[in-house]
Order: sequence, then C-alpha cells, then structure tokens
Amino acid sequence: MHRAEQHTQQRIADLVDACAGYWELRGIAREHITEMQLELEQHLQQAVSDGKSLEAVLGPNPAAFAEAWAREMHPHFWRGGAVVLHALVYALSVVSTSALLSQLLAHAPAFTFTLFAAYLLTGSGLLALLLQLGGFLSPRISTRAGREALMLTGVVLAVLALRLAGLTVNWSMALLSWSWPMTIVLLVLAAFLFSLDYWLSSNSEPPSTASANWPALRAVTMFVASVGVFDVMMFVGSVAVFDFCQLALRLV
Amino acid sequence: MDTRSTQLLKGTLDMCLLATIAQRPCYGYEMVQQLAQQGLDLVSEGSIYPLLSRLQHSGYIESYLVASRDGPKRKYYRLLPAGAKQLEQWQAEWEMFAQAVEHILKGARSDAQSRAAYPTTDC
Repeated sequence: MHRAEQHTQQRIADLVDACAGYWELRGIAREHITEMQLELEQHLQQAVSDGKSLEAVLGPNPAAFAEAWAREMHPHFWRGGAVVLHALVYALSVVSTSALLSQLLAHAPAFTFTLFAAYLLTGSGLLALLLQLGGFLSPRISTRAGREALMLTGVVLAVLALRLAGLTVNWSMALLSWSWPMTIVLLVLAAFLFSLDYWLSSNSEPPSTASANWPALRAVTMFVASVGVFDVMMFVGSVAVFDFCQLALRLV
Repeated sequence: MDTRSTQLLKGTLDMCLLATIAQRPCYGYEMVQQLAQQGLDLVSEGSIYPLLSRLQHSGYIESYLVASRDGPKRKYYRLLPAGAKQLEQWQAEWEMFAQAVEHILKGARSDAQSRAAYPTTDC
C-alpha cells in the first residue's frame, strides 16, 4: 500500500472512530453503531477511490453529520451512561489497586488519595475522549500528530492562562484517606462493577464480534494489564512530579 | 450545484431516495451514484444516511446485510409495502406542487412577453 493511501485510510479510520465515539456518548445501541460504522467506512472508501474528498461525503462539519444521524437513531440517554460506567469502573480499579499496592509494599496503615492522582485520572479520561473525538478534525488537520499537537497547545495555553490568573495548586493535598478494610471494600466494588459492565456490553455486542475464543478471559486480562500500566504510570508520575517540584524549590 | 437546487433537493431527498430504492434494492453509495446520474449532485453525500434511518424507522424501507466477496458485508435497503404506498402519495403531492409552480411560471413568462410587446410605465 502506498504511503498516501495509508494516510487516507488512517484519516477515514479516525473519522469513523470519532463518529462511533460520539454515537456511544449520545446513547445509541452498540449493534446499531457497528452497522453505522461499517456503512460509513465503506461509503468513504468508495468515495475516496472515486477521487472524491472526505468533505464531499461528510460536509464541512463531520460532527454535525454525526449528530444529524444520531438524532434519527432514537438515542436513549441512559445508554450513554455505559461510557460513564466504563470510566467509573476504570477509575475505581486504579484507585483501589494502587491503594492495595501502597499498603502492601510500603506497609502504610492508610492510603492517601491526592489531588495529583485525581487530576491524573480525570485528565487521562478526558484526554482519551478528546483524542477519539479529535478524529472530527481529520478533514482539516490530516495527521493524527497535528491534531494531538493542537490539543496539547490548547492544554498548555489553558494552564498558562490559569497560572497568569494567579491560580496555585497544592498537588500533594490529600483529598481522601482510608485504611485496609475500605481498600478491600473498594476492590470488591470494582470487581462487581467490572462484571456488570462486561455483562452489559457483551449483551449488546453483535454475536459475530462476541464469538472470539475466551472473550471473558481476554477482556479481564486486557483490563488488568491496562489498570496495572496506569498504576505504574501514576506512581512514576507522582514521584517524578514531587521530586521535580522539591528540586525546583531547592534551586529557587 | 447552486443554492436553490440544493434547497430543492434537500426538501425532496427522502422522496428521491424512496423512489431510487423502489426501482431495486441498493446500498448507500449506489443511491448517491444513481442520483448523480439523474443530475442530482448532493453537497454532502452522507446526508442520505440520517434520511435512510428515518425512512427505516417509519417502516417504509428495511435493511439487510449482504456478504461481499472482496470485503466485509454491505448494507442494502429495500422497499416495504408501507413505503410503496407512501411513495405514491408523495408522487401525487409532488405532481400537484410541480403543476402549480409550472402554472405560475408560465403565467409570469406570458406576462413578461406581453410586457415586452406592449411596454407600459406602471407596474
């Protein structure tokens, strides 16, 4: 495949992915989203192979197109809650496992959930969502790197604006603190919510995609691995940021 | 395509899609191609999909997936009896509307011709 063709395929995939993410947030059933994605992707590919632009299919505003189609699909608000449940399960799993690790490894009597950890969790969730919806910019900013650079610039400018406005943040401020029994309760709750989330999503998946070998084991392994990676990232991030801050304070 | 044609097409696109599907079952891109062959170029081709969903929810058409030799399944649309009935009604409404417009335009044309032959100063 030529480089230009690969690039176009990537733009199509990003656009379709952004539409799918938006439709999920709007509360459209998963099986409908799968069909809509398939239909849109095939149309875009055929149009591009006929020499048409992506704008010729989706118009100047792909988000408006996604919304127009979503309105006709009779979305339900409560289905959009599935995304909130995913986020809640993930956040709870990260927090409870990092509490468990810190209490096991450091023999600390209590775990402290800092402002930095809360910021890292919500920031990562929002960033993942923004990166997916950033595919709507695909017709205007053709490369993923370009879109990511634009978002990063926006975040940096927002932080600078807040700093200039005089906002100072104590990142090590404790938001919550709890001991062993509460960690166990949170772990059990995270496991229960994960099972509920998996059951809900496997019921709404079309049979063709759910029929892979050992889907439950695969889903659990992927989830545990991603939570583990996030725990490590949060630990390294905390250490790096606090050490950097302490070093900067000593230098000042 | 100019703005007036675009607006006219917007108002009648659901009827055109239903008429296209009535000829034979087809998929989205095929419909766009058939409309283009008749001289109806859409400003954004994707605008057919919300309308197809609306027609489907109204019970005028239904969709089905067809296995493709060189790729994933393709979604086709076919007409339902309620759709055939609705198309007849829309066609009758359109013919009445088009006749009325045609009548007005013919009147305006003959007025303009008579004014050109016998120019007057008042309106």
